[in-house]
Amino acid sequence: MNLKTLFKTILVSLLLIWGVSLISVSSNSLASNALAAGTSDTVESRIQPEGKVHLEGDPEPSTTEEKSAVEEEAEPPIGAPKLKRKDYPKVGASSRGIVWIAAQMHLFFAAFVLAVPMFVLVIEWVGMRTGDERYDNMAHEFMKITMTAYSITALLGGFLTFALFLLYPQLMNYMMMVFDMQVLVYAGLFFAESALLYMYYYSWDALRYGNKKWGHLTIGLGLNVAGTTLLVIANAWATFMMAPSGVDVTGAVTGDIWEIMKGPLWNPVNLHRFIANIAFGGAIVGAYAGFKFLSARTVEQRALYDWMGYTANFIAILAFLPLPFAGYWLMAEIYAYSQQMGITAMGGILAWLFIVQAVLIGTILLAGNYYLWSGMSRCEGSKRYTWMIKYIALILVACFLVWVTPHTLILSAQEIKQLGGSHHHLLGPLGIMPAKNIAVNLMLIVTFLSFQLYRRADKVATVSYANFLNALMVAIYVVAIVNVVFAGVYYGYFTNTVYKVGSSVMQVASTLVVIVAGIVIDTLLFKNAKTIPAVWGKVSNRSQYALFALPIAFTWLMALMGYVRSSVRTHWHVYTVMKDNSPDNFVPSIGYAGNMMTIVTIMFLGMVLFIFWIASLSETKQSKPVAIKKDTEKQPEAQEAGA
Amino acid sequence: MRILNNPVIAVVVAFVVAIILFYLLDHGIMSMQGLPLNSDLTPAQ
Repeated sequence: MNLKTLFKTILVSLLLIWGVSLISVSSNSLASNALAAGTSDTVESRIQPEGKVHLEGDPEPSTTEEKSAVEEEAEPPIGAPKLKRKDYPKVGASSRGIVWIAAQMHLFFAAFVLAVPMFVLVIEWVGMRTGDERYDNMAHEFMKITMTAYSITALLGGFLTFALFLLYPQLMNYMMMVFDMQVLVYAGLFFAESALLYMYYYSWDALRYGNKKWGHLTIGLGLNVAGTTLLVIANAWATFMMAPSGVDVTGAVTGDIWEIMKGPLWNPVNLHRFIANIAFGGAIVGAYAGFKFLSARTVEQRALYDWMGYTANFIAILAFLPLPFAGYWLMAEIYAYSQQMGITAMGGILAWLFIVQAVLIGTILLAGNYYLWSGMSRCEGSKRYTWMIKYIALILVACFLVWVTPHTLILSAQEIKQLGGSHHHLLGPLGIMPAKNIAVNLMLIVTFLSFQLYRRADKVATVSYANFLNALMVAIYVVAIVNVVFAGVYYGYFTNTVYKVGSSVMQVASTLVVIVAGIVIDTLLFKNAKTIPAVWGKVSNRSQYALFALPIAFTWLMALMGYVRSSVRTHWHVYTVMKDNSPDNFVPSIGYAGNMMTIVTIMFLGMVLFIFWIASLSETKQSKPVAIKKDTEKQPEAQEAGA
Repeated sequence: MRILNNPVIAVVVAFVVAIILFYLLDHGIMSMQGLPLNSDLTPAQ
């Protein structure tokens, strides 16, 4: 198939999808109009003829349509149903538990399959620009893992849909009423994404060089557009349940679909999920590379998968660095929308889960840093910087300990007496947000430092202004760290709350300045730099276990924070609009929630190992059986049985 | 630019640049949020 034919095929497919969507919209509108124009739901009304015959010249009899149209105008809009316990089917198991597992598993896989094509496209583009085929091969191999995951995502999505309609029919009925045709647009996009995904993967070798490569990249771009649109549509459903918009207090639809979608939490969730998915996808493919590295039998394979693991870790950590800021924006918007909801999340029953979150993020940062430090052994030039590692580790551990320090302790009367109050007099101040903000920003700054040292390890600057740029980089690190600590301590503990909250943006900006300045300065500094060769594959096996630690912590973290995001609705299906009256209309205990998160994490990781195995299986070829010549003529049957 | 090859001058200039950068950043970020600062970085409200 030549390029022209391919573009024509894409165009025709898109037109077909568009046409089908339009027809669906029209038919649904017609059906809705017919339903609205219909009379009341009685036997007579259902069997009566559409019109009435009359003799020519006689006056025309009045039709029921006119009457019903008047009646319809007087009808109040349909609000959210007020559910009773009997409205929830009993299936002999916890409905919430079933939906919890199905939804979380679907989200894990969906996050993975949406994220991987994003960075694969960039890797493929880099490969085309540099002419280095390794990039192209790596991108193709990452897509191979995605293909199996994609099928599982669709299966889990189907399971989740059935579970929701079976176990929460009234809620789903209401959601369908609110989102109306948008759900069919979602389904249409899913078809488009599937088509583009298969085209992208299977045309890889057919469109590998020259102008055809641009055609392939265009398909990849289309795939990512479809995937991202799916993501933001699904996010609209979740954020509508948290902060409904486009409906009145009874839940009746008052706005159009755009007003319903663009609720106050939609964009913060869009940004947060977009970035988090990339970090998550990077971590999973990093584990795949680690798996392949450890099972490699040749030096070449070790070198290839070492490089692949490094690239995946680079993607995961780079996407992870701005993630806390996106999360901060989301929480700020939650507080702005409903202070009660914000307090439920961070000051109430769910507050302790943020301590668990700190442990998991600390694990990610420690594992990511450890991998970078281990990777420095690939290059002799890294010896210039290894002395700094112990100080970076010290800051990471100290900040990690501050981050996991709780504010409110669950204590017995005796313990409160011993402590002299519910807060420890020295450690208590470390439990509130200013201390946490200092800790998280410092951890991100030193993680970027590790990253920068790693990148510098195989280079020697040759530009005349190298001394000044190095001094400027050091000064920016030092002043940024002082600024983060000053803002946290001074505004956090010695000024009013408004300045305290405002200063956290100052801290974030300081961290971002370090990252941006680091990238700019290194670009200028290493112009025409001398390179010291790095030996890929010359890295400890231990470092590969850090690559496994990353997806485990990421998966657990997603399960944890997904639960927090969903639970802030407490006893509401749709916050303040549709009450949950099911037997599960309460926030479960932390222990129960922890077990559920752990179950889904283990299930997901088990399935990921299955995917890795399937991907490896496709490379395995059975060698052709060699016929045994001895006695073949005499005993052909026995030989056949033996083979 | 040759003067910046002197390590002491390079370090001093670098720190001066960094301090001015972050000082302006603090004022800018807080002002954008409607929280002005005095010249000594204390709250102006």
